[in-house]
Amino acid sequence: MQTEADYYALFEAYQRGELAAGARADLEARLSTDPRLHQRYAEFEELTGTLRAYGERRRTRQMLGGLHEAMLAADEAPAAEEKQADGLSYSVNPRLSISRTERRLREFWNGHRATMGVAASVAVLAVFCTLLGLDLWRATTAAPASSLRELRGEVARITRRTDALTRKVNNVAGTTDAVAPVRVNKYSGTGFALTADGYLVTSAHVIKGADSLLVESRDHRRYHAETVYTDRKHDLAILRIKDRNFKPFNRLPYTFKAGQADLGERVYTLGYPREDAVYGEGALSARSGYDGDTAFYQVSIPLNPGNSGGPLLDGQGNLIGVVSSRQDDVLGAAFATKSSYLVHLVDSLKNKQPLQPYHLPRTNQLAGAARPQQLKRLQDFVFVVKVYE
Amino acid sequence: MNMDSTTALAADAQLIRAIQSGDERALSQLYRLHWPMVSHFVLQNSGTEDDARDVYQEGVMVFYEKVREGSLELSCQIKTYLYAVCRRLWLKRLTTKSRLHGVRLLDDDDYGPYLNTGAEDDLHEAEERDRRFATMSEALTHLGEPCRSLLEGFYLLDKSMQDLTAEHGYTNADTAKTQKYKCLTRLKKLFFASYKEV
Repeated sequence: MQTEADYYALFEAYQRGELAAGARADLEARLSTDPRLHQRYAEFEELTGTLRAYGERRRTRQMLGGLHEAMLAADEAPAAEEKQADGLSYSVNPRLSISRTERRLREFWNGHRATMGVAASVAVLAVFCTLLGLDLWRATTAAPASSLRELRGEVARITRRTDALTRKVNNVAGTTDAVAPVRVNKYSGTGFALTADGYLVTSAHVIKGADSLLVESRDHRRYHAETVYTDRKHDLAILRIKDRNFKPFNRLPYTFKAGQADLGERVYTLGYPREDAVYGEGALSARSGYDGDTAFYQVSIPLNPGNSGGPLLDGQGNLIGVVSSRQDDVLGAAFATKSSYLVHLVDSLKNKQPLQPYHLPRTNQLAGAARPQQLKRLQDFVFVVKVYE
Repeated sequence: MNMDSTTALAADAQLIRAIQSGDERALSQLYRLHWPMVSHFVLQNSGTEDDARDVYQEGVMVFYEKVREGSLELSCQIKTYLYAVCRRLWLKRLTTKSRLHGVRLLDDDDYGPYLNTGAEDDLHEAEERDRRFATMSEALTHLGEPCRSLLEGFYLLDKSMQDLTAEHGYTNADTAKTQKYKCLTRLKKLFFASYKEV
């Protein structure tokens, strides 16, 4: 009985043609008749064939690796000989010569451009979301602060719009007379007489940023005025009429209250939120102002832009405050500077040697009179303050 | 068919004959000629220089082995054939690497119709062969010494029996031969066991 190894010796000798003619014919005969032997031979052939091919493959791989190295080496030295195979008319392809850095960059770009694109768009999106979010956040947090509205009328915006409309209409109508642009006051507020000789009181925010002031009385007389003193903190301003032809007022009908007014006192004001004087009535609803500011009263008078700087009087005709602002997000809450601060201010100014001394009124002519009678007296001492910038 | 491609085909045929006869310079010529095309293709499709090298080596291997066997049936230019082979190889790598289905490749239109080049069939054949070689390599590793180096020396490195006898310290060539046959039977069991089961 032959072992597997013996068969292999036999097969190998047969493959190499080393067998004697007799033994060879014998083996061939057995291969064609014995299927088991035939299969054994086939397996042997496959095994050795694969082994040899595997060796061949390894050599080829090595050779190709060598070729690649050689090619790269030849590329490194561009002057290298351009060898041509015998009888072949190929030349080495021209290569785009790019620097090593550039090649790296190109490889990087080719490999990662999709990722970078996504990253960039995410970044852009994130930036915009952040900006938008910040804006939204700021808008929501800033809202309460802006709810305190100072009550000076923004006349200019409306007037200018009307002017533009008028001009347009004129153009359409074909009128050629050029209308000289009239200088329009930008803001307006209310003011009232402090003394009979031409001192007036208004709110500091009304005259903020003004370069000229015009005071207009009920009977449409106009006077130029100048700012004497401004107290931003208590929203008070003192003006003086500087026109030569100004005749001093009659005696003022009201007095200034140096103390505090009582809670629940009926109060009223007269102001110019529009062209005509408007009367407003209510009660003193708190003895402190916005955010607990004790320099102000809270009053329940419906007030509009333009009312600022108007006088606040009690039922007896005592001046108890100067209208200042209203709170937008609270119903019916308006604020007025306490008259005690005004009196303090005048006292402190007296010491500074003014051009004309302050003579505050001492007698009250309104006490006891009915409201319409009071107003008739009062209206001559309340003015429109027009601000030009 | 215009003059250019006729001359190109003639030149290709000449090159193939030279390679078949074992002319290494002709192979080197071919290798250099088509490298820029493949490297450009791979770099364009999110590969690196090393990827391009691997793919090109594989592709040229397929071509070379077919040429050496004499079984290459070329219906197009070598350029197109190589492009088709390398394209296929790179596509396969990309899909396994990225696990993305539906990878799209940017093709150079210069290299003509890369489909119907017969490259697909040749690649299947090559894959089959690769699998066989991988099994063989594994079987050889499991075989252990000294059988492994004996068989490798004889079949893979084409050493003579005398050299191997001296190398492994056998008393004479016959002992070495007997040893070799014994090793071969063991290798056969290992090889066919894992090759058949795959």
